[in-house]
Amino acid sequence: MNAPDRYERFVVPEGTKKVSYERDTKIVNAGSFTIEREDHTIGNILRMQLHRDPNVLFAGYKLPHPLQYKILVRVHTANQSTPTQAYTQAINDLDKELENLKQAFEDEKIRYEERPKQGY
Amino acid sequence: MPKKGTKSRKGTDDEPKQEEKNKLPEHLEVQRTRVVCKGDAPVNTEGFQYAGAFAAMGIDNSVSADKFCKNFKVVVNRLTEDDMEFDMIGIDASMANAFRRILIAEVPTMAIEKVLMADNTSVIADEVLSHRLGLIPLDADPRLFEYISENDVPTERNTIVYKLHVSCKKGSPRLTVKSGDLEWLPEGSQLPLASPAQSGDKQKTYTSFSQSQKDILEKPLGVKFKDITIARLGPGQAIELEVHAVKGIGKVHAKWSPVATAWYRMLPEVVLREEIKDADAEMLVAKCPVNVFDIEDLGNGEKRAVVARPRACTLCRQCVMGPTGEVMGPTVEQVELRRVRDHFIFTIESTGALPPEMLFTEAVRILEEKCERVISELS
Repeated sequence: MNAPDRYERFVVPEGTKKVSYERDTKIVNAGSFTIEREDHTIGNILRMQLHRDPNVLFAGYKLPHPLQYKILVRVHTANQSTPTQAYTQAINDLDKELENLKQAFEDEKIRYEERPKQGY
Repeated sequence: MPKKGTKSRKGTDDEPKQEEKNKLPEHLEVQRTRVVCKGDAPVNTEGFQYAGAFAAMGIDNSVSADKFCKNFKVVVNRLTEDDMEFDMIGIDASMANAFRRILIAEVPTMAIEKVLMADNTSVIADEVLSHRLGLIPLDADPRLFEYISENDVPTERNTIVYKLHVSCKKGSPRLTVKSGDLEWLPEGSQLPLASPAQSGDKQKTYTSFSQSQKDILEKPLGVKFKDITIARLGPGQAIELEVHAVKGIGKVHAKWSPVATAWYRMLPEVVLREEIKDADAEMLVAKCPVNVFDIEDLGNGEKRAVVARPRACTLCRQCVMGPTGEVMGPTVEQVELRRVRDHFIFTIESTGALPPEMLFTEAVRILEEKCERVISELS
């Protein structure tokens, strides 16, 4: 069997950086982030979050190959920002949103459980 | 110049005008917030995600975290032991899809990984039996256990041991082996690894538990459903084996997936563009297989169609199609089927290891951890 081990899809090998950034040599304020051992799950929400930023001119991601377990996120920003700033801002916003989402879900679950008691 | 003490109305007059100016035209607003489903295919499926999509019109399409938090809403519609349905209002499809993917493939559970076969004289081959055992949902909380790697020794913290010892006596009828026959061994493996050097030595087994799992767990471990058929034994046949369950995720194998399935759909919206009355109304109500429409009596013998249950719509498109399936007929132009782009009806069906609401909370936590990792390790 020459199939790669399943755990290779999510375990970052030793000596490999989880996230690396490469600046674009031809366009100002543009660059690519390589995120190891991630897939569409994080790639798509990161792209979506970057699109929401008014300073981001272009954001996109791709999986180079199904057997290469990494994603490439390309970001191009306006002069007021840099790709690294936009990336950091996007992740921080995402964190904030997820925290809010979790809290809203917990609150609603408690409300739902109390509904029969209140005679709905 | 207004008198002292009187309020200038200039600002208040301008505000509605400004608001009116910064509003999208109706057709664009529909494109932005809805997916319209025509008789042959849906249109406007991409949406306007880019923050500057309407910059030329002076409208900001960006979404800040604060704006999201203000608009986001969750409504639980159904919550049972095994499944739940809830609405998430104000989120993007990419986030809903991320939760779906995580629920299916990344929330950990416990499942049988190793089968130590002592005896199997049944008609089922060892590897088929092992595969069937692996897919049995276990009633064990994965959060109480640790992951085990290839070189780790099985301990009470990372492995659950069950044994199955059944035989069908000669002359007795066929015996069905059920998942309920699996017996939990809190003390660890009972199969000897090698014979002891001296008779006084403790027998070495396939696990090295330092204490009983009964001491560290609040409730006994078992299988979720006790009536799953594992095999059928004929007279004189027997199965004797021991299984080791470990923690894993669905990405490695589907047996570790905590959900039977998790899916979402966008909220359906059915719009009657003009009044549909009398015979046409009757025809429209008869067309819909899930009773989305109802007849409203207007008095003086007039009836009209109303949208009573839009949520039930499955988008079969019968209402926008003619009798033979072509896109024509009296109601085609009058009915518009849409999906609300930021309103997701999410359904989670758990296999039983964790309750569905816990699964979703775990999925959110896992996504948060992913975000932490991809930012903390940026060099």
